[in-house]
Amino acid sequence: MSVTSMPPHRLAPSRLATSRFTLPESVRALRLEFKRNAVPYVLPLLAAVFYFNTLRTADGFPPVWTLRASAITDHMLFEFSAFAGGLAAWAGSRDGRRKTADMVATTPRAAWARLSITLAGTLSWLLLAFLAGVAVLYIQTALQATWGGPPLWPVFVGAAGVTVVTVIGFACGVFFPGRFTAPLVAIVALVLYQTGLRQALSVTASGTYALLSPANSPPVVDAGVYYHAAPDLSIVQVMFMGGIALALFGALGLATTLRELTPERGLASLRAALARTDGWLLRAVAVILVACGVAASWTAFALAGTAKPDAVGGWQIPALHSAASDQPVPAAPACTSSSGFQVCVHPAFSFYLSDVAEVLDPVAAEIAGLPGAPVSAKEVASMIGGQDVPSGISGNPPVFEFTAERVGIYFGQFLGIPDPVGWREGFQQGLLDPFLAGPSQQAGSVSLGPAQQAVEDALLTAAGTNVPATIGKMLQNGQPIAGPPAVRSAAQRFGALSASARHAWLAGHLAALRAGTITLAQIP
Amino acid sequence: MTAAQVLKPPAAPSGAAGPGPSGLRLVWLHLRSRRVPAGIGALAVCGALLHLALHWHWAFNSGPYAQQVPMIIEAGAATVIAVTAHSPFGETERSAGRWLPRLRLLTVAGMCGLAIPLLQLGAVGESLNAGVLVLARNVIGITGIGLLCSLVTGALLAWTLPMGYMLFCQYALLQAWTAPWVWPVRPPADCGAWIWACAVFAAGLLLFAVRGPRARLSDDS
Repeated sequence: MSVTSMPPHRLAPSRLATSRFTLPESVRALRLEFKRNAVPYVLPLLAAVFYFNTLRTADGFPPVWTLRASAITDHMLFEFSAFAGGLAAWAGSRDGRRKTADMVATTPRAAWARLSITLAGTLSWLLLAFLAGVAVLYIQTALQATWGGPPLWPVFVGAAGVTVVTVIGFACGVFFPGRFTAPLVAIVALVLYQTGLRQALSVTASGTYALLSPANSPPVVDAGVYYHAAPDLSIVQVMFMGGIALALFGALGLATTLRELTPERGLASLRAALARTDGWLLRAVAVILVACGVAASWTAFALAGTAKPDAVGGWQIPALHSAASDQPVPAAPACTSSSGFQVCVHPAFSFYLSDVAEVLDPVAAEIAGLPGAPVSAKEVASMIGGQDVPSGISGNPPVFEFTAERVGIYFGQFLGIPDPVGWREGFQQGLLDPFLAGPSQQAGSVSLGPAQQAVEDALLTAAGTNVPATIGKMLQNGQPIAGPPAVRSAAQRFGALSASARHAWLAGHLAALRAGTITLAQIP
Repeated sequence: MTAAQVLKPPAAPSGAAGPGPSGLRLVWLHLRSRRVPAGIGALAVCGALLHLALHWHWAFNSGPYAQQVPMIIEAGAATVIAVTAHSPFGETERSAGRWLPRLRLLTVAGMCGLAIPLLQLGAVGESLNAGVLVLARNVIGITGIGLLCSLVTGALLAWTLPMGYMLFCQYALLQAWTAPWVWPVRPPADCGAWIWACAVFAAGLLLFAVRGPRARLSDDS
């Protein structure tokens, strides 16, 4: 029984009632619900799971706003789904669990109002906890990010996800009160989430369900950096989940009527329920809410069916798409040229600018002035026109272009390789591969010949890189191995030359080396 | 009213128990008070859910992701067992007899023994990643956590800590943790994981059997 179960004139006078500022009845009931709700008892557990599953995972990502924000829907919503569903079912089943449903049914207050207060209290606690988690995540990102601002759409999607799971759990608790309802709702919510993730990650699945699922793999590292992240899919997801929540909330208003529909009496119970004249307004409102919710969800489902991949790795929905999303985001690059070789990255990635310059400078110095040697390095968008952009050398004067997602043969360079040595090798090889194979080549598709490989090894050694562990294209059981003895021998010979001798030999033989007419024996 | 009417023994409540030895009747009443029949139904639902998940490929077939959905459902079965521990009689029941600890122990052990084959039945004909050994280890270990939780929160909210542990294990699974106390991510024959799971189960079962779940907190919330 709650405050709203009692008729107003029977309420005992309280301290609040005698004070000058008397709170409205519903607010007092909500305050009581806040105090008695079970969610606060579970918050420490939720915080611990949030720390491990969300915060530590996000901390492993580069401090780029869109990437870090993906942890909200990919990780945070997962843990919140379990507790939101279970605790809401727990709150919703209160009357049924305590066998007080008949007792409170005799009170003048509508059952919907009573349930709404309980739902609002539970949902408010969960949303407060969710927003607190988002705040922690965003503050951590703000302290590390070098460009951009917090994206809001992942927060909206996450909040909608928490809301819909809460309402589903609450409705399950109301309609099926029992001790097993809460854990079963939590489990089913998690399985649904994982199924959505499976669909979203599967290369073969392109169904609507996969698009409506908020769970997904992390986006490309520079998502939302060069181009705006289109909110089309987020809008549809919010509309879909909000529609379900609205429809179920309306169904709660019909809970009393639905309970009277017993299968034994068949159509008679339906006619009796429809013939009731009391509470018709509330029932009408409930039916309208159900209809609106179903319509919103159906519309979202239909819109998701029209989605198609956009040019920058996301999804666009023609009915919702804004052309402004396709425009590049203006940003002045962050550059450094401490040793004459200019390196520029997007300001969102300026946190590793000095590291990139430090890695590229010695290799660039080895080949400086040679035909086709890059005079600078520039970071570009990792996806243009729906295609992955490999690194390579292009333009006049030549510029080494790389992306935050792909350098040389390495993919997801800054996301999946925590090893700093591998990171260094990726950049140096990424620059030397297209240079030795010809400036028109792109590093991702380069296959060096033995002589080219020997020269590259020698140049890498001269740049201070441990070559035997770096010949990335020669792999055995997934581990880099040293090249064939003849390649190693030629690389050692060439590396033993002075820098000026190497440079002079390259100046005279670079064209033949690129053409593949130089043999290992011809390398000095 | 005559003395004969007063001395006449009251009629047994209809449907309370069938004919049979009093020990069996006591066990049956205990199981009914814990909603064990409904609990078995809930375990069957978990088994069916596992079957659907495996049959319709809701989970991945291999790799760390493959263990996620089975682990969720195994934890679900464990939470059902933990929630079954709730007594509707609270403190009153504790003064009723000396059989209560044995009945508690019997109930939980029996439910665990039933949950494992029911879940395994759900995986028949499908490819269950890591097999029945991991399934059994997860069920008994997480049940132990649930029983320990019931001592603090009451049995009705005893699903919260197992849920938190399972969510943490999902993280540990993807991060390739190897600590034995994170037994759901360990290989089937890992001794350390088995020791941890059995120890937690034994501790939970023993404490639960002796002390019983907390009677009030979860009812007050």
